Amino acid sequence: MNTNEAFIQVRNLSFSYQDGTQALSEINLEIVKGEFIALIGQNGSGKTTLSKCLNGLFKPTRGDVIVDGLNSKTTSIVQMVRRVGYVFQNPDHQLFNSNCWDEIAYGPRNILLPEDEVKVRVQEAASVVGLPENDFTEHPFFLTKGLRQRVAIASILALRPQVIIVDEPTTGQDTRQSYEIMDFLKDLNEEHGHTVIIITHDMPIVAQYARRVIVMGMGSVMADGPTAEVFKQTDVLAQTFLEPPQITQLAQLASGLGFNPGTLTVEEMVGQFLALKQDSPVNNGCL
Amino acid sequence: MNKTLLGYVPNESPIYAIHPFVKLFFLLVVSLFPLFVSAPEWNILLILIIFALMWYSRVNMKTVRIYIPVAISMGTIILLSYTVLGGIHPEYQLLFRIVGVHIYWERVRDAVVVYFRILPMIMTMVFFLTTSRERDLIVAMCSIRAPFVVTYVFAMALRSAGMVLEDFQIVRQAEQARGFDSAGKSLIYKIRKYVMYMIPLFALSLRRSEEFTNALVARGYAFTGEASRVKRANYILTHYHFSTVDIILTAIIGLSFVVLLVLRYGFNYFSLEDSWIMDWLRQILS
Amino acid sequence: MPELVEIDNYTWQYLNTDRPALQDITLTLKEGSFVGVIGPNGSGKTSLAYSIDGLIPGQYHGIKQGAVKILGREVETYPRGELQRQVGVVFSDPESQFTAMTVEDELVFGMENLGMSIPEIRERLEWVLDLTDLGPLLNKPPYEISGGQKQRVALAAVLAMTPKVTILDEPTSMLDPMSRRRVFDVLARLKSEQKNTIIVIEHSLENLIPLADRMILLSEGQIALDDETEAFFQNIDLLLEKGISPPGAMRFFHELSRAGFYQGGFPLTVEEGYNKIKKLLQGDQA
Repeated sequence: MNTNEAFIQVRNLSFSYQDGTQALSEINLEIVKGEFIALIGQNGSGKTTLSKCLNGLFKPTRGDVIVDGLNSKTTSIVQMVRRVGYVFQNPDHQLFNSNCWDEIAYGPRNILLPEDEVKVRVQEAASVVGLPENDFTEHPFFLTKGLRQRVAIASILALRPQVIIVDEPTTGQDTRQSYEIMDFLKDLNEEHGHTVIIITHDMPIVAQYARRVIVMGMGSVMADGPTAEVFKQTDVLAQTFLEPPQITQLAQLASGLGFNPGTLTVEEMVGQFLALKQDSPVNNGCL
Repeated sequence: MNKTLLGYVPNESPIYAIHPFVKLFFLLVVSLFPLFVSAPEWNILLILIIFALMWYSRVNMKTVRIYIPVAISMGTIILLSYTVLGGIHPEYQLLFRIVGVHIYWERVRDAVVVYFRILPMIMTMVFFLTTSRERDLIVAMCSIRAPFVVTYVFAMALRSAGMVLEDFQIVRQAEQARGFDSAGKSLIYKIRKYVMYMIPLFALSLRRSEEFTNALVARGYAFTGEASRVKRANYILTHYHFSTVDIILTAIIGLSFVVLLVLRYGFNYFSLEDSWIMDWLRQILS
Repeated sequence: MPELVEIDNYTWQYLNTDRPALQDITLTLKEGSFVGVIGPNGSGKTSLAYSIDGLIPGQYHGIKQGAVKILGREVETYPRGELQRQVGVVFSDPESQFTAMTVEDELVFGMENLGMSIPEIRERLEWVLDLTDLGPLLNKPPYEISGGQKQRVALAAVLAMTPKVTILDEPTSMLDPMSRRRVFDVLARLKSEQKNTIIVIEHSLENLIPLADRMILLSEGQIALDDETEAFFQNIDLLLEKGISPPGAMRFFHELSRAGFYQGGFPLTVEEGYNKIKKLLQGDQA
């Protein structure tokens, strides 16, 4: 199979809820294996709805979602979730087993895998998320929030989906915890080859980890491209009430001085500063 | 469209002009009417009146259709328990014998009477719930000077019900996202799997209740002690005024009840002996 | 004249835990200050907020040492409902702190609990609506408004009770950037108009830093740093070590300073940062 062929194809996707509100209109997208995408946009822009269409929880009202050659309209949800996993924002919405082992085994058992295969999957998933073995018998309810989130992710990983969509991985987490979870997702992407899609508001995290950004507003895709390119489109971002991370804003303000308006990290900024300093009329910068 | 407790009512409905107290009064008083009425035709008339009121209030009648299967199954259960489980009564008039079970006229009669008493009582409740918003319920209870705690507990029960329903949707989707597919499975299977909905809902409620209690305390709400006996201003009532129409309606409801009692006990109306439906039914079955 | 908030060698350990949540906390707050409290998760920020409001030890079991005094009185000595006239708390979850059925009822609930009269309530309601721009939402139930709107309602509801100290515990952690901005806009207005004392616990430093006069860093239950904002952020190495990530502009200048290209205070806003860069690159021609 051609690795450049899109794993997910979205064609003219429109979706309306039962009470008539239209959540998505005419979305066209392609997602290739191995991407790391951030899906951003204000609340109500359709990010979550789009994700749920991608993993088959929602069927398109019009248009098609094709995952690994399968059309979501005609494919059972069990087949869909084996390809696209969705981790809900609040782990409490899904954890119900009395111990972590069964929790992670729940998915594989649902798809009727033989028990020894289930065992392999659970151990694999648990080690990827860094869940210690002595937590296997713990009741998820009593774990810390961070651990609960990992169990939730592990329970999706156990299905071995190619694509993993994580809803708000860093909300409510502090800096260290955010980086931990993002590094873990980066690892999933670079070491294990999963396609990772994060839904988030955390712009510095997007800048640091996502290679591609899809901006949603009012049910449509407003921008779609490499992170630096999208962050340059501040007017588009503003329409969906977003703005680039502070370091990018700083670079954009200072673009008249020679800074790249698509700067994503402090390191890049420092590098540019040093280069500009060399060329500047004022040498010896100590004030 | 405004969302009421059980349905939707458009903005232009006349029901909004009525003080919530009147609606509550209607519910409390009119649901007592059937208790004094034995003859089914009168209770059926009451049901029709309530339907007419719902229609006049522009309630979306589709929501009412949901109750039809409920009404039918309830009727069946009542009939069965009165007849099949009724036992042996040689003093009653025997209608048929099916597989050793004796079906007596008196039992059938009682079942019919009970059924047509329960129906209007439920309909009044449905009418109230489909035309009242949460706030109306609170205002109504305030206006009858119910203790604040009672009113508030009611309000919070409503609020929690809403949140639980929202959570339930998300939990269902979360389980589906892990490959749980209940399509085409038996009812028993679905019921057995219910535990997996209950536990997350329970966990979420537990976590929320701690935060909720903190919020209540932080807003100065005291459950006991000096502070709980503070005189509440009940600001919400400043928006609702008793108009002439409200007074007239309340009077009509009250008077109807009095008239009903007088007719029932003074002139023996609504009794079974005068009921032509019962006569007709008896003829058919005998 | 007693200080507004005075905490003296305060230690608190929750029951069944192996280390105190807060240890030897000593700090005083004067009226009119805007204080930011930051720290990694688990460092005791929420426990500190709850301690000032009396939720600890009121609602939680544990061992307390030292004193937490509001206006010279220890929090436990305040009768139920009294402390809430002085200290208000806005919590992080918009859903669970919405205690009523409509926005208006929510705003008024706290005031009713305090026994305020209808004219008083009306006056405060108007002020708070103007401050938070919630007028059009008055009759809406909680399920019809967004999380950001709910948080503004929570803030308004607390302010309506005219507390001397308002504590906000991660008020924007569950909100999208626009809603976050709007909450901070209200705080900015508050700061400029009134003599409120405000304590904000936040992870979102970008919005907090321009408003805070003073910042406190909590780490593992202890105060690791406590200073006026500008001076506070000179200690970026300490902040980074304790797991705090200052905003991009600040970190940029910190890197420059480490490389020897910059000496001086770190910018609190993007604009400040730009001006400093300009100066650095263009020297005195700027």
